[in-house]
Amino acid sequence: MRSTHVSAEVHPAASAAAVARPAVLEIESLSVSYATPDGVIGAVNEFTLTVHQGECIGIVGESGAGKSQSFLAVMGLLASNATVRGSAKLAGRELAGRPAKELNEVRGSRLAMIFQDPMTSLTPHMKVGDQIAESLIRHRGLSRADARQRALSLLTRVHVSDAERRLDQYPHELSGGMRQRVMIAVALACDPVMLIADEPTTALDVTIQAQILALLAELKRDQGMAMVLVTHDLGVVAGVADRVAVMYGGRVVELGSVRAILKAPQHAYTEALLRSMPRIDEPADQPLLTIPGQPPNPRDLPPGCAFHPRCTRASDRCRSERPLLQAGARSAVACHHPVAEPLR
Amino acid sequence: MSDAPPSILSLRGLSVWFPVGAKLFGKPKSLHAVEGVDLEVRAGEALGIVGESGCGKSTLARAVLQLVRPTHGSVVWLGRAIEGLSVSELRPLRRDLQIVFQDPLASLDPRMTVGEIVAEPLRVHRPELGRAARREEVAGMLERVGLSRDVINRYPHEFSGGQCQRIGIARAMILKPKLLICDEPVSALDVSIQAQIINLLKSLQRDFGMTVLFVSHNLAVVRRMCDRVLVLYLGRTMELATTDALYARPMHPYTRGLLAAVPVPDPDIQPGRLGATLAGELPSPLAPPSGCVFRTRCAHAIERCAAEIPKFEALPPSEPGGLERHIACHRWREIEPQDS
Repeated sequence: MRSTHVSAEVHPAASAAAVARPAVLEIESLSVSYATPDGVIGAVNEFTLTVHQGECIGIVGESGAGKSQSFLAVMGLLASNATVRGSAKLAGRELAGRPAKELNEVRGSRLAMIFQDPMTSLTPHMKVGDQIAESLIRHRGLSRADARQRALSLLTRVHVSDAERRLDQYPHELSGGMRQRVMIAVALACDPVMLIADEPTTALDVTIQAQILALLAELKRDQGMAMVLVTHDLGVVAGVADRVAVMYGGRVVELGSVRAILKAPQHAYTEALLRSMPRIDEPADQPLLTIPGQPPNPRDLPPGCAFHPRCTRASDRCRSERPLLQAGARSAVACHHPVAEPLR
Repeated sequence: MSDAPPSILSLRGLSVWFPVGAKLFGKPKSLHAVEGVDLEVRAGEALGIVGESGCGKSTLARAVLQLVRPTHGSVVWLGRAIEGLSVSELRPLRRDLQIVFQDPLASLDPRMTVGEIVAEPLRVHRPELGRAARREEVAGMLERVGLSRDVINRYPHEFSGGQCQRIGIARAMILKPKLLICDEPVSALDVSIQAQIINLLKSLQRDFGMTVLFVSHNLAVVRRMCDRVLVLYLGRTMELATTDALYARPMHPYTRGLLAAVPVPDPDIQPGRLGATLAGELPSPLAPPSGCVFRTRCAHAIERCAAEIPKFEALPPSEPGGLERHIACHRWREIEPQDS
């Protein structure tokens, strides 16, 4: 609900750069629901977000929060029993509800994506070089030789060692980190304006995760690409994202600068999530704060604020009236009783 | 000497090798998943075993339970070597040695009720208990792990991941084991559920006084949970220290790289940490580097590191009566101390 714009007005300093730059992806009231034998299930509700050129937005939340579903809907990659309402425009062009044929022109060229498991996103029987060249030949009309040359420079760009030899290897011959680099090279092949990275480091070891995150930060800086980073790990967004949207029960519950969200969250859920997360730089002198209960099932969302059954601040109003995402002191927040004090 | 409590478990030169890719006329190859591990586990401590995939942390834990048999070396439990014991000789020991697995749902039999799952160890190890007494024990343990006693007649699929992990913990705890092995117990859980399970395991350890081996790739969780930490790389021990010492002042270059790689949810700190990441990838465990296995990714490596395997040296405790620290690095004396 106009939330991004509202928050931008409230925080000129935090989002000045973003406002000055053109919008790349404009998502307006996007909803995703599934028709199942047990009835209609709403996975995402009225998701609104604008991503600007050169900006990285982190989307955080736990399982079932709707973070992946939102962007699978943008890319038109949902299961066949899904219904999408609302609008998602890439550089002014509507994507929501468009046929696959039309989306195929955009996907892989203007709009690129990488997923959690690079092994399942790469074709197992195709050489790495051919997989990178494929989109160049298809979308850019390059010759095989030119495409191979460009594939080589892309592999070098994402810091794949021994790139010449890798071109002729198959995905199974590469390590997990190397495969994710190859996926990023495939994604970058046609100079996309927008990269959507869905849990890109979740399957990787921690030292390899750090390398891939450093690469994403470098690409954002050097290519000026707009980026969405979907993750369950608040530490991951801290190093790369400019703004963060926190999702819970299929809705954005807080949206603001990475600093506002991580240092002075206003939504009770964001605050509790940060406090319940063990940190490597903190000794264990106090027991971890826990959030009672579990994330809600999209089948059976609580009335009012979806977080109220787990919230220590919940009042009668929270049980009956769903809070709207509105400009707060530091971020846009959907909470009747926002947290006033910064974390620490 | 130190006032440290006595060892409950000792690993002596423990190696676990797996045969791989045997060809008809070729030389049989083997993967050294765990190689020459020496470790004294003290009664009542929580010892973390950390490292990246393929470092041998889970294999090490399973070798302690004899779920995989060691190729070389010895597992000494309460003064008795158990690596040569048969399955039937091991059975009575299982009462004291229990394990909680990573995937909570996969480790519970879907056709058994929660009550049957948690009661099963009692049937095997305490057959003298009558039905009613057994039921009472099970209900009590379910309540202790934060479930209600009404769940006894329900089935695992009716529960969330966090609740299934509580059931798995109840099953492991029902015999009040002396040693609880936790193999990535919170890795499959959402962040808000992780904290619940960590606090539960800590409180169980405090109340029952058991020893815990906590296997995890999540270094932030280990800092919360453990008294000491063992760092493994490619099946070899790199560093062993008290949790406070290890996190405040990691000494092995690998420990430093590992700790530096963990993301911190703070926009003032995290961007800088990304610039200091450990280079390179894990070498193939089938062809580990000569000398120090970490040398191919180590900024401090010299010729000696390729030629000679570093010993797992004991350093004197930093304070009188403290626990000694161990490190396997030729150059630790020369490397600048670094506070993390």
